[in-house]
Amino acid sequence: MTVDAGPQIDAAAIDLDRIDLSDRDFWLEPPAVRHAVFDALRRDRPFAFFAEPEVPMLEPGPGYWAVTRYADLEAISSQPAVFCSGKGAVSIQDIPTDLNEFYGSMISMDDPRHAKIRRLVSKTFTPRMLEQVVESVRGVVAGVLAAARRRAEAGDGTIDVVADIAAPIPLRVICDMMGVPEPDRAMVLAQSNIILSGGDPELIENQDDPLTAFLTAGTELAALMERLAGERLADPRDDLTTALVTTEVDGEKLSHQEIASFFILLLVAGNETTRNAISQGVLALSEHPDQRERWMADPSIDRTAVEEIVRWASPVTWMRRTATRDGEVNGHRFAAGDKFLLFYAAANRDPEVFAAPQRFDLTRDPNPHVGFGSKGPHFCLGAHLARREITVAFRTIFELLPDLEVAGAPHPLRSSFVNGLKRLPARLGGGG
Amino acid sequence: MTRIEVDRERCVGSGSCEMLAADLFEVGGDGIVAVLRPEAEEDDLDAAEEAVRACPTQALALVD
Repeated sequence: MTVDAGPQIDAAAIDLDRIDLSDRDFWLEPPAVRHAVFDALRRDRPFAFFAEPEVPMLEPGPGYWAVTRYADLEAISSQPAVFCSGKGAVSIQDIPTDLNEFYGSMISMDDPRHAKIRRLVSKTFTPRMLEQVVESVRGVVAGVLAAARRRAEAGDGTIDVVADIAAPIPLRVICDMMGVPEPDRAMVLAQSNIILSGGDPELIENQDDPLTAFLTAGTELAALMERLAGERLADPRDDLTTALVTTEVDGEKLSHQEIASFFILLLVAGNETTRNAISQGVLALSEHPDQRERWMADPSIDRTAVEEIVRWASPVTWMRRTATRDGEVNGHRFAAGDKFLLFYAAANRDPEVFAAPQRFDLTRDPNPHVGFGSKGPHFCLGAHLARREITVAFRTIFELLPDLEVAGAPHPLRSSFVNGLKRLPARLGGGG
Repeated sequence: MTRIEVDRERCVGSGSCEMLAADLFEVGGDGIVAVLRPEAEEDDLDAAEEAVRACPTQALALVD
């Protein structure tokens, strides 16, 4: 599919018969194109059916319904008994058994098991508890930005917003919370990049066998967890890993497999999503300099600004649900086993809910976006942490890197699942 | 008098209510929210209603 990438594209000019959301190259199209397609789908085919993307060595499944209207997405998300997560929430294909060992975490579980496991860590991620880590987040961010400044000054004044700012901040914060030692952190970043690569050729060298790359990434992270779990059992500390290895659910300890999956979920989800919110936020601010000026001058809009960045970026593009029975939702009939992809990125620009949805407005209020998920038990566990990280990141950028200027085109990740940037060239100190 | 009630089966401790009304709600160590002032006073009602609407698992209710 090729569409010219103008800044504004009329959804009426989109030929939906030529659109395939399973075409990996669609996700490399500029945001204006993707959003024009979402507009057209929302308006004309709110439940569009697509064949599944091919994955080497996996049997193709039956296909999926792409849900793009806010109201439909909310209706599905809020009925977890009818639309379950247990068949897989983060992959279009049912999770192959051998990957399930590492990736079958609570995000792909249903209540009551999901709720019991989630409640083990809920308290750690509440606004009150996170108040206590704000100071350490500030320290992390200041350290990262100072290093970015040194890198620019030692070189030609350029940096990469992704590698030098957006990636290290959430990596350090989540690794601190989990108690991951410094020497292991580069490996955590590399493996979580592979897990959320969407098979992007830059990250998965062997395109004929992406499953082995995902398995190897899971094995490496699980081995780290094994080591840390042993250390924490012998010598408990005040960190999340200790909580995971010492607490019980229904009188049972979590199995090693459950702990490994949980650990991988927290590391991967805690890294990539916030990274993409920060890098996409820097990009959006550079494209909307008036908004950047406004926010820089007025910390009182921090709250609405951060929500707008999450709506705008929609770091997670979709999650999957699977029908547990035949039924009907908002006039759409479905059968047991039908798969639904909930396109948060599309719902977040639904004109039925958001006035001028294509306008980036840091004072938007109310802003009932679904960037952290919609109604239902799987609402983002890390939402409050992400909000704090994003707030501190931007306020500290305004303070320490007021001269940060995007200096080249973003390099998008070829993934339908996360709205990622691989690189975003920037410059410090003007000139150039 | 309006009472704020929590469905302990539904609540997963997302903390959405705590974010909106910290003096009414606090997620406990069991991962389920505790209502700090179950008998809501007149001044609490707006915040309580907002928390009820925002709860992702629809675990909160106001009962007259």
